[in-house]
Amino acid sequence: MLLMKGISKTYPSGSVALRSVDIHIKPGEFVFVVGPSGAGKSTFIKMLFREVIPTTGKLFVDGVDVMSLKPEEIPFLRRQLGIIFQDYRLLNDRTVYDNIAFAMQVIETPYRQIKRRVAAVLDLVGLRSRACDYPGELSGGEQQRVAIARAIVNDPLLVIADEPTGNLDPETSMDIMKIFSQINDSGTTIVMATHDKTIVDIMEKRVIAIEDGYIVRDDAKGVYGYEPEH
Amino acid sequence: MSLSTKEYFVKETFKSIRRNQLMSFASVSTVALSLLVLGLFLLMVMNANNLAKYLESQVQISVYMEDSASNETLSAAAKSLKTMPGVVKVTSVTKTEALAKFKKRLGDQNRLLDALGEENPFPYSFDVQVDKPERIAEIVPKIDEMKGVETAKFGQEVVEHMFKLTRLLRLGGILLVVLLAMATLFIISNTIRITVFARRREVSIMKYVGATNWFIRWPFLLEGMVLGFAGALVASFVLVQIYLALQDKIYATLAFFPLIPAWPFLGYLCLCLIITGTAIGAAGSSIPLRKFLDV
Ligand SMILES: Nc1ncnc2c1ncn2[C@@H]1O[C@H](COP(=O)(O)OP(=O)(O)OP(=O)(O)O)[C@@H](O)[C@H]1O
Ligand SMILES: [Mg+2]
Repeated sequence: MLLMKGISKTYPSGSVALRSVDIHIKPGEFVFVVGPSGAGKSTFIKMLFREVIPTTGKLFVDGVDVMSLKPEEIPFLRRQLGIIFQDYRLLNDRTVYDNIAFAMQVIETPYRQIKRRVAAVLDLVGLRSRACDYPGELSGGEQQRVAIARAIVNDPLLVIADEPTGNLDPETSMDIMKIFSQINDSGTTIVMATHDKTIVDIMEKRVIAIEDGYIVRDDAKGVYGYEPEH
Repeated sequence: MSLSTKEYFVKETFKSIRRNQLMSFASVSTVALSLLVLGLFLLMVMNANNLAKYLESQVQISVYMEDSASNETLSAAAKSLKTMPGVVKVTSVTKTEALAKFKKRLGDQNRLLDALGEENPFPYSFDVQVDKPERIAEIVPKIDEMKGVETAKFGQEVVEHMFKLTRLLRLGGILLVVLLAMATLFIISNTIRITVFARRREVSIMKYVGATNWFIRWPFLLEGMVLGFAGALVASFVLVQIYLALQDKIYATLAFFPLIPAWPFLGYLCLCLIITGTAIGAAGSSIPLRKFLDV
């Protein structure tokens, strides 16, 4: 599903975010990317959907050579991915339903299909009754559930999340993780960057630890490993 | 492109125009004003051209005879004028006729002529009409050589002035039109820039979920085109009203003036304006889009 070989990233400013990273992630895996602030987690995540281009190395996502993609091919890579951010990134002037339908409209899905599919993912994230509400009327956890629904509405092969629980309290975070588990159970690969020790320790999934741009640990059933700094 | 996609584009376009009312209004007004000026210039240039052509086609040679010419000389001159190549018609104007014509033209002021007393200063003349203006150059020198001819004149100067004026109008018009087109382009691209900025969040999400650049571009492009089209429509309407009013005025007072008939002339002109307006709208919106999407 995901293959990195000798990936490094040096930003134009000179700061080195990743150093010679080798990673292989198989279809259906659930992977946490952990590490202290500034370790390079977000850089790692952003490379997967080509927001950041590696300086050196090779990167394959679902067999696609991401680095050699032409600009007009990038949208088609992203259609295979579901991307979730810490700050939800919802459109506040659209209803919950429209926010999710939006992701299908922009890749030109026919109307009838949109209706059916949006209803299904709203059920999955438990927000069917809030379909006509606006994001401003929802709690942070509910907003993140809408963002998740939007990310999976196009049936991605790989869901990528950068600190999706970063703005949420522990209980709400666990609800979100339950939804992630469900998505993973249906066969979708998940890569999630996080600071949240509790979540990582409870979930008992594969953990890739990054420090100062190096992969320092890669455990199949790992734990967070050290105290998160605040 | 599926039906739902087209529907989506149209909805987004009009939503954005509504949301951005003030700038939309400003854009439509600017486009309308610019195109109106462009239209007025086209009207002027084309009518001046038309007038010049008309005058050229009306060109006739006035052959003034010497006062000393005898009746035989006059009739001989008339005969040889008629047999010249390209001559269509020869009309003679006697001295008395010429005086009467002049008196008529003076109208109320024909008293001025009292100073002349019994004297008639007007020469006997022939009005010679030719089939083509190009004939004039070859005929005039020949006429000048004929017996009893004082001088042969034709309206060349007027025509040349007319053409000079048309050229000047055209040059000034082109200059003005380029300036106005740039102003229009500027205001439309600014409007779309504001729209794009207002919707940058939406656009970034569109990119994350895999919308193609063309998909993202379309609503903005449509918005620019709608603004340009609307402006052109307003300009066309005003232009037609102005021309029709002008036509009424001219027919009432200067009936002989060769104004280009309103239809289908105005139809073509409006079509031209509408195409130009829409094209400027599309061009104006692609300027900010190019910058914005190249990320
Ligand atoms: N756009 C950028 N331009 C320049 N340097 C950057 C950029 N983004 C990140 N960096 C640098 O790269 C390094 C890794 O940053 P990254 O955002 O990947 O860390 P992170 O692990 O996600 O941190 P956090 O946990 O705080 O989100 C940092 O030193 C950071 O300053
Ligand atoms: Mg980060």
